[in-house]
Amino acid sequence: MNKRPSWVRAAAAIAGAALVVAACNQGSASPTPTTAPPASPSATETADTGASPSPVAPSGEPIVVGSTLSLTGAFAATGAIHQIAGEQFVERLNANGGLLGRPVEWTVLDDESDQARVSQLYERLISQDGVDLIMGPYATPNILSAMAVAERHGFVLPQHTAVLAPLLTYSCQFPAWSIGPEPNVYVPTQLYEAVASLPEPPQTVAFATNQNGSTDFVTRGLPDDENDPDARSIATEMGLEIVADIQYPPGTTEWAPIASQLQEADPDLIVNNSLGVDTVGLIQAMRQLNYDPPLTFSLFPAPGPLLGLGDDGEGVLSVSIFEPNDAILDQYGPEVAEVVEEFQTAAEAAGLPYTAFETQATASWNAWEILVQGVEAAGDVDHEAICDALHANGADLTFSGQVTFDPAQNNFWPSNQGLKQIQDGDWVMVWPDDRAAATIQPVGN
Amino acid sequence: MTVLQAAISGALAGGLYALMAVGLSLTWGMLRVINLTHFGLILVGGYLTFELATNVGINPLLTLVVTVPVLFVAGAALQWAFDRFGLTEFNSLLVSFGLLIATIQVVSNVWSADFQRMSADVNPYATQSLRLGPLVFPAPTLLAFLAALAIVGGAHLWLQRTYPGRALRAFAQDRTIAAAFGIDHVRLGALLGGAAGASAAVAGMLVAVDRPLTPSTPFEWFGIVFAVVILGGIGNTVGTLAAGLLVGALSGVVATVWSPATSPLVIFSLIIVALLVRPRGLFVRRVT
Repeated sequence: MNKRPSWVRAAAAIAGAALVVAACNQGSASPTPTTAPPASPSATETADTGASPSPVAPSGEPIVVGSTLSLTGAFAATGAIHQIAGEQFVERLNANGGLLGRPVEWTVLDDESDQARVSQLYERLISQDGVDLIMGPYATPNILSAMAVAERHGFVLPQHTAVLAPLLTYSCQFPAWSIGPEPNVYVPTQLYEAVASLPEPPQTVAFATNQNGSTDFVTRGLPDDENDPDARSIATEMGLEIVADIQYPPGTTEWAPIASQLQEADPDLIVNNSLGVDTVGLIQAMRQLNYDPPLTFSLFPAPGPLLGLGDDGEGVLSVSIFEPNDAILDQYGPEVAEVVEEFQTAAEAAGLPYTAFETQATASWNAWEILVQGVEAAGDVDHEAICDALHANGADLTFSGQVTFDPAQNNFWPSNQGLKQIQDGDWVMVWPDDRAAATIQPVGN
Repeated sequence: MTVLQAAISGALAGGLYALMAVGLSLTWGMLRVINLTHFGLILVGGYLTFELATNVGINPLLTLVVTVPVLFVAGAALQWAFDRFGLTEFNSLLVSFGLLIATIQVVSNVWSADFQRMSADVNPYATQSLRLGPLVFPAPTLLAFLAALAIVGGAHLWLQRTYPGRALRAFAQDRTIAAAFGIDHVRLGALLGGAAGASAAVAGMLVAVDRPLTPSTPFEWFGIVFAVVILGGIGNTVGTLAAGLLVGALSGVVATVWSPATSPLVIFSLIIVALLVRPRGLFVRRVT
């Protein structure tokens, strides 16, 4: 029998409970403020952050921007990118005179990748902490949660990455990464047009779709609308024969059954509407079956691990709004090159394995520029005025150019999203032609 | 043939589940400790393998020379601490869950929350396979299956044929009587905890060889590993292996014949039915 004194058992129980409570609250209780008004702005630090370059250091009460990010949990890998890009933006903003002449302070809370916590934390930021402005969290479900709170309080919500355009009905949410009002049309149409330009265009296609809302939406359209076009119906319209249509649940780790079915279907093109490292697992499983993967498209992959596949990853296609390829950087000029380099340094210091300033960081940068330009156009931290100003003027984004916000389209502006491909071990922008750093290649080149 | 291939691939993957489950099952069955930190040790084993292979250049399989002793000590120390504070079965669940979360946070701070994956040049096994006629045996899961056979077989023999093994079984059956016969449960517990830690090192290495790592990965393992532990019979090593292979094969076949999306639904429904019929596990002898 257990002969330990009762105080030992009590202490153990308390320690256990404390650990669990600590675990449940970890990271969320203490905000991470980013206050970076610099000593003096340099005349050369005039990179376009959306702020007017100013020789005067910001002064007065800081403008506090509150947001959550998924610093732990399932979305943490990408949350870290948004944190670094946001900190970099705020630092540069303050170095260039701040916002309306005042320093900007960014308060970030960890939402632990939990949609329920996002609502609570945005409510706290607005109602209790009294932040002046808010910035969206990362990932579509979290953004939807934050949007409901923002709408209730009439706050402007710039958001980085929400894909489900039809659900983002709040007129003062402003998307920073637009795949157009119908991503389920835009993405597949662009992909099929791009692969049709190959010397031997694919004739057959297989779908492997993660049942996450964002990815399933692209393959299947809106669930309550049978006539909503999607990647499958558009493939048929464009003359591609569908030879397999496989769905798998989020969190899938066993890829052999899916790889077997794809091998049996033997398509010319695999459309893997996926997240994270799904495509890595799938390609690996296909290789284990001695099946050379055909041309493969991956919707929202973590970019680094796919490059780690080496030769097996060559030719994989994905979506992108910006890639720091030399030819692309030449189009943008030295200020963007400086932003890209700074981000890389910060990402390396933070220990991120893939440090390129690409789509996610670009979306973050866009979101901050939208917020700043809205406030500057309104001339005040007045949310109604900011929202009206953004509807009236749009925003001039460093990486995406002049964009307009039409509430009838849920503010989703015409997309500038293109396609990137792994070529010689690196992601290269390949489509559309006018923004490509190289031409799209068939697998095996 | 596709179904047979799916069953083989699934059963081999089931070896990895069994490997993850065996340490958990033994400490639960023998020591009455539900040690969720075991998942954290597997995670650390995976990251140490990644680190040693990527930055030191050691073959991933040879990283066991470092990770097995390290995690043996960690597992033994953990069990000693559980014993020192006299945790009940339920409290061990709470405390070890807290320790798991702490471990995940430490791993996030050290290796970042981003995906980490050994590149193809340091980990050639990820895409290799053994071919026998039309059937393919993927190298990472084949290695997991062989490791599971060796570890489960070794653990079974150790428990059956050695004095510490018999002492542990006696302790699991009746602690008071075992103590009266001079069995030092603290030392034996630490030994078993260390052995579980060592098995976590092997499982972690094989996870790192097979798939990308993220700190939150352990939560993906919970459902399937607990299912294997319970179906196999708590503390039953051979049952754990059999349950792992069964769940893996069934999962692979359902995903192929039906759909990967319905596989979890079918598998967990069958597990519920199995436990209603055999609440002590599929591979535990009925007591009449």
